Amino acid sequence: MNASLYDTTVFTCNDSLESMMTCIYEAYASRLGHRRIRLELEPVRQPELFCRYLSVETDEKKAFAVVRSIKEKISAKAWQTVFQTAMSWRPDRPDLIYRFLLLGFHHGPAVTDMMQYEAVSRIYDVSRSVYREAHLFREFIRFACTSQNILVSHIEPKSNILSLTAPHFCGRMPSENWIILDDNRKLAAIHPADQDFYLTHVTDRELALLRQTEKADACSALWKEFFHSVSIQQRYNPRCQRSLMPLRYRHHMTEYLK
Amino acid sequence: MTDFYCSTKTVRRELSLEEKLHILADAAKYDVSCTSSGSSRRGKTGYLGNSVAAGICHSFSADGRCISLLKILYSNECIYDCRYCASRRSNDRPRATFTPDEICRLTMEFYRRNYIEGLFLSSGICKSPEYTMEQIYLTVLRLRRVYRFNGYIHVKAIPRAPKELLTMTGFLADRMSVNMELSAQENLEKLAPHKTFSSIFQPMKQIAGQIAASRLFLGKPARMERHHANRYLTGSIFDRPSLGDSLPGETPGDFSLQLAKEKAPFVPAGQSTQIIVGAAAESDYQLLQTSQNLYRRFDLKRVFYSAYIPVNEDPLLPPPDTQVPLLREHRLYQADWLLRFYGFQAEELLTPDRPNFNPLLDPKCDWALRHLERFPVEINQASFEELLRVPGIGTKSASRIVNARRFGSLDFSHLKKIGVVLKRAGYFITCGGSMMFSVPLEEKFLTRQLTMGEQKQNWEISHPQTCRQLSIFDIGGILP
Repeated sequence: MNASLYDTTVFTCNDSLESMMTCIYEAYASRLGHRRIRLELEPVRQPELFCRYLSVETDEKKAFAVVRSIKEKISAKAWQTVFQTAMSWRPDRPDLIYRFLLLGFHHGPAVTDMMQYEAVSRIYDVSRSVYREAHLFREFIRFACTSQNILVSHIEPKSNILSLTAPHFCGRMPSENWIILDDNRKLAAIHPADQDFYLTHVTDRELALLRQTEKADACSALWKEFFHSVSIQQRYNPRCQRSLMPLRYRHHMTEYLK
Repeated sequence: MTDFYCSTKTVRRELSLEEKLHILADAAKYDVSCTSSGSSRRGKTGYLGNSVAAGICHSFSADGRCISLLKILYSNECIYDCRYCASRRSNDRPRATFTPDEICRLTMEFYRRNYIEGLFLSSGICKSPEYTMEQIYLTVLRLRRVYRFNGYIHVKAIPRAPKELLTMTGFLADRMSVNMELSAQENLEKLAPHKTFSSIFQPMKQIAGQIAASRLFLGKPARMERHHANRYLTGSIFDRPSLGDSLPGETPGDFSLQLAKEKAPFVPAGQSTQIIVGAAAESDYQLLQTSQNLYRRFDLKRVFYSAYIPVNEDPLLPPPDTQVPLLREHRLYQADWLLRFYGFQAEELLTPDRPNFNPLLDPKCDWALRHLERFPVEINQASFEELLRVPGIGTKSASRIVNARRFGSLDFSHLKKIGVVLKRAGYFITCGGSMMFSVPLEEKFLTRQLTMGEQKQNWEISHPQTCRQLSIFDIGGILP
C-alpha cells in the first residue's frame, strides 16, 4: 500500500500515560509531516475515510525518552501541564499534548507563556480544569472510619485525579492507614501508615470485601450537626453554595449522605 | 403557676456532646473569619496534619460561606452584655461549655476524615478574661502536645487577658485575632459597654510586635508577606517609604528569650480582625480607612467585614426587620481586595463628600469612570501597574498579558483566552491601537453600558432568598 493514498495518518493509543507518550514518540519520529498526523485514543469511535490508522504498542523506553526530553528541553512546568492534560477526561488529549509539544520543542521553556498560540491556550485550559478538579477533591473528599480503623473514601471524578490528589493526603496524614477509591475507574490510592502511597487497580471482589467493613461512622452525625448549625438563616443562599460546591461532588460527602 | 415555676427553675442536666456542639457552633457562626490560609507547614510522622499556604475550604454551608475550620466557642456563658451579640448576658439562651478534651477529640476526629482544616476557637467571657484565655491556652496546648495535632489553629485573643498568656498561646497557634467589631470609639462604648478601644488595641499591638520580632528572629523581613503583585506597584498601602522602618506594635522586654527557647514561629499566619457593617451609622469611607490603617499600622493579614444581622431587639440598634446589608459588605470586600492586591488607597476610592460605594457599580469600575483621562490603555505597551487598574483585568490576567506580549502582540481574541473580562475591560483598552467597540469614551454613556448587565447580579447579592418565577416543573408539587 502506498502511504500517499492517505490524507492523514492517525496514531492511536490507549489511555495510559505510557501509551500516550509512546504514541507521541512514534508520531514525532514518523516524519510524515505534522499536518498529516493526528493522535487519537482507542477505541476509535468513527473511523474516517482516507485515513490510515496505526495502533501504537506501548514501549516504556520510548515513553521515558519523551518525558525526559520534555523536562530537559522544555521545562518542568511544561511537563506538569502535559501530565495534568494526560489525566483529563477529554478524548482529544493526546493530540492536544502533541500540538503543544511541537511548539515546545521549537521555542523552549518560553512556550508556557505564549498564550497567542491556539495550541498553548487550549492545553492550558484543559490542564487548569484538571488541576481545579484535583483541588476540589482535596477539599471535598470525605473519609469514613472502618471497623479496622482504616480511613476509606470513595470518589467519582471526571478526570483521573488520584495521582494529583493523593500526595496531599500523604503529607497530611503520614501515620494513618487510608484508601481513596476512584469508583468509576476502579483505581485506588492506598497508603499504609508511615509508608509511601501506591496506586493499584481494584477488582469487584475486593470492593465487595471492603464494603463489608464499612459501617456507619459515629462522627458523621456530629459533623452533620455542625454543618447545619454554622449556617446563618438570614443569609441563606443556595445558589452561592451550589456554585462553590457543585452538586456532582456531593454524592459521597458526609453532610449529604442519608 | 406551676408552668411558670418549671420554666424559671434552673435545672442543670449534663448536655451531650452533640447538643454542646449545636449550641456552641450556633453561637460561633456570626464570626466571619474562617480562612485557613497564610501558614505553610509540612506533615510529620507521628503527628496529624499539615498546613497549606493558600488555605483549603472543606465545605460550604447553606448560606454559601466557606467551612474551613471547626468554628466553635469554648463557652457561651458570657459575663459581658454587648448589645449586638447573641450570647450576651441578658439573653435567655441555652448555655454550654466544652471541656478541653472534648474540643481536642472533635478536632482530631473531624480532621482525620477531612471534614476540616483545623480549629477556630473563640469564646464568650466565661467568669473572667483571665480564666477564659487560660482555658483556651490549655485546650490548644493539649491539642498540640498530647494529641499531636499539626494542622491549622486560629484562636481569639481575649481583650484584657494577661500578656503572658497571649504570648504562650501565640507560639501554638497559626493565627490570632482580636475582633474590633466597631470602628468608632463612641459606638463601641455605646454598644459594648464592657469593652474599650484600648482593651482591643492593646493585645493587637502586642501581637503585632511579637510577630515582627519573631519574623526577624527567623531571618524574615519584619512585615508579613503580601501578594507578589505588590512588588511591582508604587504607592500601594504596603509600600515601604510610607511606612518607614518602624516595627508594628510593641514587644514585651523578655520576649527575645522566649523566642530562643520556643524555636517555633509566633503566629505565622498573622493576625486578623472583624468589623461589623451596618450596626452603627458609619460610612464606607470610615470603615475602609479603618482597615487601611490596620493593615499599615499593625500589619494585619486580613480585615473581615460582617454584615450586621439583627439578633437582638434593642433601642440602640437598627430595628429587627432591617435587611442584612449584603451588597454593602460585598462592595467593602471588593475594595479591600483593591487595597491589598491592586495598589489602590482608600482615599482614591472614596472621599469625605462621596463616603459610600455606588451600589450599581463595583469600586474599580466606579474609579475608572471618574478617571477617564487615564484611558484607553494600550494592552501591548501599558505597564503592569496600569493594566491592573483596568476594570475586568485582575492580577492573574495582568501577569499573563505581561508574559505573553514578549512573544508577539495580543488582540482581543487572545485576551479572552487569557481570562480578561471583556464585558468590562472592552471599554477601557486598545489592542494595537484599535478599540473593541466604536463608542464614545464618555462617563454617562459608559456608566449606562456597564450598569446594564450588572443590575441582575447586584440584586441577587442583596436578595439571595427571594421568590423566583414559577416554573412548569414546580407546579407538580402544588397541584393535587
